[in-house]
Amino acid sequence: MRRTYLGEFEELVLLTVAVLHESAYGVAIADGLEQQTARSVSLSAVHAALHRLQEKGMLSSRLGEATAERGGRRKRLFTVTALGSRTLHEVRQVREQLWASVSPQALPTFSV
Amino acid sequence: MKPTVPPRWAERLLTWFCAPHLLEEVQGDLHERFQRRVALAGERVARRQYAVEVLGFLRLFALKRRPDELFKPISINSLMLRNYFKIAGRNLIRHRAFSVLNIAGLALGMATSLIILLFVQDELSYDRFNEKADRIVRIVFKANINGGKINEAFVMPPTAQVLRNDYPEVQQATRLRNFGTPRVAVGNQFFVGDKLAYVDANFFEVFTIPFLKGNPKTALIQPNCVVISSELAQRYFGTENPIGNVLYFKKGSDKLPFRVTGVFDKIPSNAHFHFDLFGSMASDTEAASTSWLTSNYFTYLVLPEGYDYKQLEAKLPNMVETHMGPQILQAMGMSLAQFRTKGNQLGFQLQRLTDIHFNSNGSNELEAGSDLKYVYIFSAIAVFMLLIACINFINLSTAGASKRAREVGVRKVLGSAKLELVGQFLVESLLLTSIALVLTVGLLPLALPIFNDLAGKQLSLGLTTNPLILPGLLGVGLVVGLLAGIYPAFFLSSFKPVVVLKGRFAGSRNGFGLRSGLVIFQFSISICLIVGTITVYRQLAYIQHKKLGYDKEQLLVLENSWALGKNEAVLREQLLNDARVVNVTTSPYKPAGPTDSNNSLAYPEGNDAQLMRTLQYGIDDRYIPTMGMEMAAGRNFSEKLTTDSSGIIINEAAANAFGWGKNAVGHNVTRVVDNDGTKKVYRVIGVVKDFHFKSLHESITPLLMVYERNWGLIVKVKTTDMAGFLASLKTQWTQFGVEEPFTYAFMDELVDKTYQSEQKVGVILNSFALLTIFIACLGLFGLATFTAEQRTKEIGVRKVLGASVASIVGLLSKDFLKLVLVAMVLAAPIAWYAMNQWLQDFAYKIDLEWWVFALAGLLALLIALLTVSFQAIKAALMNPVKSLRSE
Repeated sequence: MRRTYLGEFEELVLLTVAVLHESAYGVAIADGLEQQTARSVSLSAVHAALHRLQEKGMLSSRLGEATAERGGRRKRLFTVTALGSRTLHEVRQVREQLWASVSPQALPTFSV
Repeated sequence: MKPTVPPRWAERLLTWFCAPHLLEEVQGDLHERFQRRVALAGERVARRQYAVEVLGFLRLFALKRRPDELFKPISINSLMLRNYFKIAGRNLIRHRAFSVLNIAGLALGMATSLIILLFVQDELSYDRFNEKADRIVRIVFKANINGGKINEAFVMPPTAQVLRNDYPEVQQATRLRNFGTPRVAVGNQFFVGDKLAYVDANFFEVFTIPFLKGNPKTALIQPNCVVISSELAQRYFGTENPIGNVLYFKKGSDKLPFRVTGVFDKIPSNAHFHFDLFGSMASDTEAASTSWLTSNYFTYLVLPEGYDYKQLEAKLPNMVETHMGPQILQAMGMSLAQFRTKGNQLGFQLQRLTDIHFNSNGSNELEAGSDLKYVYIFSAIAVFMLLIACINFINLSTAGASKRAREVGVRKVLGSAKLELVGQFLVESLLLTSIALVLTVGLLPLALPIFNDLAGKQLSLGLTTNPLILPGLLGVGLVVGLLAGIYPAFFLSSFKPVVVLKGRFAGSRNGFGLRSGLVIFQFSISICLIVGTITVYRQLAYIQHKKLGYDKEQLLVLENSWALGKNEAVLREQLLNDARVVNVTTSPYKPAGPTDSNNSLAYPEGNDAQLMRTLQYGIDDRYIPTMGMEMAAGRNFSEKLTTDSSGIIINEAAANAFGWGKNAVGHNVTRVVDNDGTKKVYRVIGVVKDFHFKSLHESITPLLMVYERNWGLIVKVKTTDMAGFLASLKTQWTQFGVEEPFTYAFMDELVDKTYQSEQKVGVILNSFALLTIFIACLGLFGLATFTAEQRTKEIGVRKVLGASVASIVGLLSKDFLKLVLVAMVLAAPIAWYAMNQWLQDFAYKIDLEWWVFALAGLLALLIALLTVSFQAIKAALMNPVKSLRSE
């Protein structure tokens, strides 16, 4: 089965868009990612990833409303397309199959 | 409180690099984050992080434009191009007056600069026609003896031979001796004014002067052989073959037969010598002399290909040591080393053949050279003229922008890209320039003869022969077209259609600052040129009216009275009895023009360390009174005292140089009388007041006058009917029945001739100044017309409210006059510096006075006022009903 390649950061961005559902735009996605991963995420990285994902057809976008703090500029709101959704599911399936095959003794224990 | 904003530079950077379709969301996100960071971490941190984030967006995805955001390529399609030409043509015709102003200015500017281009090309081409031009050098003599500088273009007779023998790098050495203009007898005809030089047999192997008849290699081996120019062959012998014919040179009472052995084509005008006859050096008895104490021979050397002449020059002191040293020791009883310890210097230098034209500053040069400085000055003028013409175009186009604004708006609405509009306007300026170029080509043949006349040149347009002229024409046309068109093109094409089409366009003030700056520039140059012209003319007038120490007015020089033989004395007696004649002297020495080789070495008796180069005049007892010179001390020569043959009169400069000051009379002067070093002692009987015998470029140098029988009459006349006197003199002359025709010269004219090159520069500078001002005024006139047009309504209202014509003229002129005033302030220091440099060349010069600058400024102001007021008065006199009715 051949599917479009999805990078780790792209996958995270795509998932975050799904998490934010109807209100996914640059700053919100970056903030969400920062909270989840506890690492600082630059806007340009997010924008670049969004741009790539859109080119791959996994995201669609429309212009949303403007706010004062944005200096009257509109947001671009993203939603996951069917292709995006399928890709995410496939990635998840691969992971789960892999997890299922890992014997518990194979991984050393650690405490969080 | 001021709202906190991100750093401006970062904002600008982002808007510049970010693709337009991404800008809104990206900037919005950045701002949103920025505002939150301000709240969380404070403004400073937020601003820094904002900048970092912006730099983060320097990624390919953000830089990449969508295809429709790229500049549209300019489609050069023939339909559009035809439309551009059509519109351009219509505009030219609609705004006829401005088109004429523009074209006239451009054509004048281009014609002038092309003439200057030809001039510069000619100046730089001197002597390059010689095949060996790069390898030929001339050897010249320089010395500094007791503070007197000697700088001679010719050298001693044996120099050429010695150089060829002693230095293997000298492949060929050839000599030339100038013999002036002897009278030439062919059969029973006489010819005067043709220039003769004696040259070595290998002369035509060094210089490339093509022969029409005869063999250049062998023509001048035998004594008493001569080659003549083809023009002379025609004049002397008509259609007959000149080869083998005999002609006679007559100088003084000598009559020398010469056999014609060759005919050469004419010498190109861009050579540093122009002789009509070349006699064989073997006919010159002095040419074989081995004396190093006499000079007369211009000596040219051919060096190997690629050889640096400085290497040979470095070896020349050795030649002075071995060849000149012994003779100096013998003649002056002093070795070179002793000679040098007194601070004296002497030695040889080499000049490249191609440099001679710009370095003809030695005494006894074959022809007056030129100065590289003038090449620079004229080139600068050419560039400025073109700039001024371009500025006219720029000013008129931008001032008239409002007339084109709607067109630009409509074109943009219909989908013209900015670059297409730029292209359109460039087509227009190039079209205008092309018309001007055609006019230029028509103008050049008319203007060139005038310039040739002024500059003493023989330039020809040579559309087909000169490889530089066609590219020059096209190049100048293209550069001018682009230079003039590029700014207006961008200016006009940048109008916003919305603003323009709403009719809220305030065109007249747009680019006002630039126009003012350009007008100031134009007038600064004009004022500089006016100052230059005035200064050159003042200096010339100063020279012409400076007290020369003698009276040059009504002084008649009869140089060839030697031809009368013993009848010269008879004529002299007749003249002395003539009531119209004040005095007559027999002497060929004129204190003007080139001094013949009458230099002589002298020193105060017993003090040969003071040996110096002096100029020597041979005069009779009537010379000083005839010339109107004055004695500072002592007495004049006297016919009655036989001892005066060993008496000497010196000038004040000599008295000071010898260290006697005011007590010179009674001292003795030792003079080296001939080339072998024979000396004679003279007793100073008088000191003549200093008079100028050279041009005022030079200071007065020591001069010795000895009592000597000579030829040549100088007559002081006092009559109001000079023509009548000359007529009667001619009758007297012909009564002696000599073949020599009666010729004469006036001393004041001879003096004037010394300053020919300055006079030429004066006239040329004057014409250029006039042209420059004229072109600048064309532009000013156009601008004034625009202003008057635009303010028609304002003027109408003012008149209705009772303004006088004068106040309106003042209103319209004021702005322009302010610009000229600023130009005056800017131009003054530049002009002062430039003219100060020029005046450094004169030993006697005028002071640069402030009123010259004031006058130049006033002139410029006046001209500007005249130009502007024509339009201003026209506008002010207009009936307000007419201008206000059309609202």
